[in-house]
Amino acid sequence: MSSKINHHHQNDKTNGQIFPQPCPHLADFHARNGTKPFRAIQDCLHIKPPGGRAAIRRDSSEVPRCGVCGDSSCPRLYACMACAAVSCHVPPHSSHVAIHATKTSSACSHEIAVDVDRAELFCCACRDQVYDRDFDAAVVLAHTTSIIQSSKPENLRKRRRIDYRPWSPDLRERSLMVNNASPIDSMSSSNGDLPRGLRGLNNLGNTCFMNSVLQALFHTPPLRNYFLSDRHNRYYCQSKNGVRLCLACDLDTMFSAIFCGDRMPYSPAKFLYSWWRHASNLASYEQQDAHEFFISMLDGIHEKVEKDQHKPRRNGDCCIAHRVFSGILRSDVMCMACGFTSTTFDPCVDFSLDLEPNQGSSMKTSSTKTNHSCNCEADGMNSSQNCGISTLMGCLDRFTRPERLGSDQKFFCQQCQVRQESLKQMSIRKLPLVSCFHIKRFEHSSVRKMSRKVDRYLQFPLSLDMAPYLSSSILRSRFGNRFFPFDGDESNTLNEPSSEFELFAVVTHTGKLDAGHYVTYLRLSNKWYKCDDAWITEVNENTVRAAQGYMMFYVQKMLYYKASEKQGTS
Amino acid sequence: MIESGEKEKLMELLRERLVECGWKDEMKALCRAYIKKKGTNNVTVDDLVHVITPKGRASIPDSIKTELLLRIRAFLASAAL
Repeated sequence: MSSKINHHHQNDKTNGQIFPQPCPHLADFHARNGTKPFRAIQDCLHIKPPGGRAAIRRDSSEVPRCGVCGDSSCPRLYACMACAAVSCHVPPHSSHVAIHATKTSSACSHEIAVDVDRAELFCCACRDQVYDRDFDAAVVLAHTTSIIQSSKPENLRKRRRIDYRPWSPDLRERSLMVNNASPIDSMSSSNGDLPRGLRGLNNLGNTCFMNSVLQALFHTPPLRNYFLSDRHNRYYCQSKNGVRLCLACDLDTMFSAIFCGDRMPYSPAKFLYSWWRHASNLASYEQQDAHEFFISMLDGIHEKVEKDQHKPRRNGDCCIAHRVFSGILRSDVMCMACGFTSTTFDPCVDFSLDLEPNQGSSMKTSSTKTNHSCNCEADGMNSSQNCGISTLMGCLDRFTRPERLGSDQKFFCQQCQVRQESLKQMSIRKLPLVSCFHIKRFEHSSVRKMSRKVDRYLQFPLSLDMAPYLSSSILRSRFGNRFFPFDGDESNTLNEPSSEFELFAVVTHTGKLDAGHYVTYLRLSNKWYKCDDAWITEVNENTVRAAQGYMMFYVQKMLYYKASEKQGTS
Repeated sequence: MIESGEKEKLMELLRERLVECGWKDEMKALCRAYIKKKGTNNVTVDDLVHVITPKGRASIPDSIKTELLLRIRAFLASAAL
């Protein structure tokens, strides 16, 4: 057995990314071969289109063999960077590549080699993989044959971030507050079980779909803060624009009613009427889809506000609805024939995820053989796939997995100039402040003229880290974990807002497709409350975990502040 | 079989199937656990390969094994003629 050389590769944190220090042999290689020794390798790389894997270019009939033993079947063959001799490395039996490394002459050292199938650097003396920025840059350059984006699309330009500055009112502000506000009756909060802001909503005739979404929105922190701090004053709006349909004004009315401290259930009749006028095709006493209502409501808030302020739809800053919920999705379509990748960015206000029926079934055979126990932690462990339970992270994995577009969906490739089979992959370019995950439980098949509901249980975590689904992570894994600047940004990972989210509301659906009931579970001060139309009760966390999630609302753990154009507003 | 390029095709197919069924993710998780246990600076690629290989071989779903075997058999039959 070869002696294990323990290298303490010190990790150097630059720009928030961790670069391992090169081993002495790699450093030596750099010293001998100039500043950019690996750029020449770009010409030797061939990107295999289907998976986009980088490998050393060779003729289709050429079979790489070890120079010493002639074996071509071993899993890893390495080509020496100095003389291109191919050797095999099969520990613990034989390592011909290590023998080759000893052939160090004064002109060049034969210690650094590259894996012929994977384009990864290997140090024969240390007998371990090594990483080099320059090499990875060459690999990435070989990958990106597509047309370089000359300027970043509008919606990607970042707004300047500023630090939090504490504020306390001065005398004038203090007197303003005292004169124009009335103290909230502190007595009502001592009736003590329910916190402020929890108020039942009366069902006005199959309106549980609306009540459930409204309850979630009332406790969406950025939205709640916006309305409670009088950012959309309904009196001012009406005096400026006349009495007209404004969903934001109706929402403002409801926020005032919900948070005033009155415990009697509230009837959102005026709002319902306004919404009917906005979404007239959904105006009926029939049960509607909660998700459809959610989208329609965000749309309604956006429509009216945009007319007021003429703000362009940039960075989702047009209205409060988009500022809270809007994110950017990145879609990459890669041609299977030539590898040309076409990228588009689309805004989105939520994530609609599929619940695959056969998820987890193919792993059942392996579950007995691995060491994972089936008492999986509820918070998003990958091992839960072995138990056959669907998880939210599993759905997100599926959402961001590369998908082969079938032969009937051939995509027009700009480089080949014909329709080719292609690979499509979604990822998240920009995370919204609040992520709404909508689980597609209602299947409407126009072909079979029937609709059905998928009742399958979905496990969802209380805390969610969205980092693996970001475009930066997806691209990094596509290129095989290379170091490279992403999208030409100078921004580093430290400046990026946190990708950690906390669950605060769950909208659940029970019953059948046409005869069901929506209920919302809200998380306030780490306690869970069930909002079933007019009835609000405190419940145990396990009740929520066991519920059939239809829409899950997560908010970013850390909110950041944007520099504003005007003083006094932001 | 290597020279005709058939091995490459089968390797690609195998990779696709293993990703689809989640095997790759499971192996990744195992690697992460092992690295966490040993410490990031004390593991070499060879180590990982050595540890993972038996587990990996054992946990391949039978359906994938069957599919690959059928394809190899079909190829050999056609190549022998």
